[in-house]
Amino acid sequence: MTHVWAQASLWLALALVATLLSIWFRIATALSEIVVGTVAQLVIGALVGTAALGANESWITFLSGTGAIVLTFLAGAELDPKVFRVKWKEATVVGLIAFFSPFFGCAAIARYVLHWGPQASWLCGIALSTTSVAVVYAVMLELGLNKTDFGKAILAACFINDLGTVIFLGLVFAPFTVRTLAFVVGCLVVFPLIFWLTPRFFRWYGDRPSELEAKYLLLLLFGMGAVAAWADSEAVLPAYLIGMVLAGTVGKNHLLVRRLRTLTFGLLTPFYFIRAGSLVSVPVLLATPLIFLVLLLAKMATKFVGVYPITRALGYVKQEGLYTTMLMSTGLTFGTISALFGLNHKIITQAQYSHVVATVIASAVIPTLIANAFFLPRYLLPRQSEGAPAAGESTASPVKSGQLNTISE
Amino acid sequence: MYKAILVAYDGSTAAAHAFHSALELAERLGSSLGVVSVAQLPEPPTMVETTAILDLAKTHYEKDFKRLRVDAKARAIELQTHVAVGHAADQIIHHSVEFKADLIVMGHRGGSRMKEWLLGSVSKRVLSYAPCSVLIVR
Repeated sequence: MTHVWAQASLWLALALVATLLSIWFRIATALSEIVVGTVAQLVIGALVGTAALGANESWITFLSGTGAIVLTFLAGAELDPKVFRVKWKEATVVGLIAFFSPFFGCAAIARYVLHWGPQASWLCGIALSTTSVAVVYAVMLELGLNKTDFGKAILAACFINDLGTVIFLGLVFAPFTVRTLAFVVGCLVVFPLIFWLTPRFFRWYGDRPSELEAKYLLLLLFGMGAVAAWADSEAVLPAYLIGMVLAGTVGKNHLLVRRLRTLTFGLLTPFYFIRAGSLVSVPVLLATPLIFLVLLLAKMATKFVGVYPITRALGYVKQEGLYTTMLMSTGLTFGTISALFGLNHKIITQAQYSHVVATVIASAVIPTLIANAFFLPRYLLPRQSEGAPAAGESTASPVKSGQLNTISE
Repeated sequence: MYKAILVAYDGSTAAAHAFHSALELAERLGSSLGVVSVAQLPEPPTMVETTAILDLAKTHYEKDFKRLRVDAKARAIELQTHVAVGHAADQIIHHSVEFKADLIVMGHRGGSRMKEWLLGSVSKRVLSYAPCSVLIVR
């Protein structure tokens, strides 16, 4: 066991360094952990040997996989069913097109421009089809757009987009055998059942120090993950769907969600993101930077081609359409999950993985910067001057001197 | 002179000093008083971390706001509080406009030169871009 404890210490030391860096530089912990993983692999690899970090040891792979599953579940549980019910038509159209356009476009560019194999190209399409719900949500909160119909529809569309990514990741590489059918049928039986049972079960036996809720949810996630893996699908697919199914019940239990976050951020996701970073090859990125540029442009261009016309067709004015398009070109967590899935299942090579992850990271930052600098629909922001709002403006009420709005979440 | 005063509050000792100076000023001038605290998100934000930060910020600041409201009530001042999300200086300025404040009061934390060089000083940015008077309490 000495070896395992020593390795665990090393990984948690890296996690601690990554967390400190994220606090000092105010960057996302996930991004910090990916970068620390990449640098650690470079340095430790040069000093001791590439095996020292042990990124492929079974217990590290297990913790890392559990991190991805629980993180995906929590992301699904963030869905606001009320908003979705109100804006489902608009959200579904924008979300599906925001998924399909980069999925087909990036896959085609990977296949015919970069000459990647068919499977690798599909994986690339999936990884670059994502939209970061968090980036969109943060921008909406910052500008107060989350209260507008426009903001609500875009947020709901992001969930649909990610749902497309997760479903395709789970099914495109599945062999479509009887097992796949059994998995789909299993989902159709289990999801309505847990929707009915979970809140009741928690009411009967929950809120005790024995943490029944966490054990129940982990059982669900591992159980459905096992069925998905048995069907040669991906465990994050049922995790995201379970999160969405339980969003209106478990997702509203803030104490439980907080306890799950502690488990996730404290132990699981550091292993996931540091591992994801440690598998990135910096020499490959430095040797072929054009591939990264092609993929980043491909993602932004295909999102533009798909999302912009549909926003105009839905009646958004030019500025709103461009802003929505840019925000929906972002992505981080699901992009990384898809890329790592591809590498683990030998669908993509380490070089291809490095390019996809670098593109995913860049796509989390660059489109938001462009959107806020050039395409911000300022007229949708809560009014700051008196007078009647012009046509198409927000209906946010004017504020008297000395009056603040309520908390903007 | 000052009809509406906005305090930028981050929970630090310096911010508490700033709040009490603003309270005294509001009492003397009969001004309305608002407090804004800003939850800063990491870049780029990720979903679960973002909601965790918002949850924590809301709980943390709501606890502080209760205390501040008691202090304000003792001086017969009704306090308005708000937790904003985003970059601190941007949000302070944005809410000073929304509050129609003619004075922003904030504390000076005196961060290290390295931190100031890396992240910039919030008070310096507010001083540069605020549309109204700014009082930095030391």
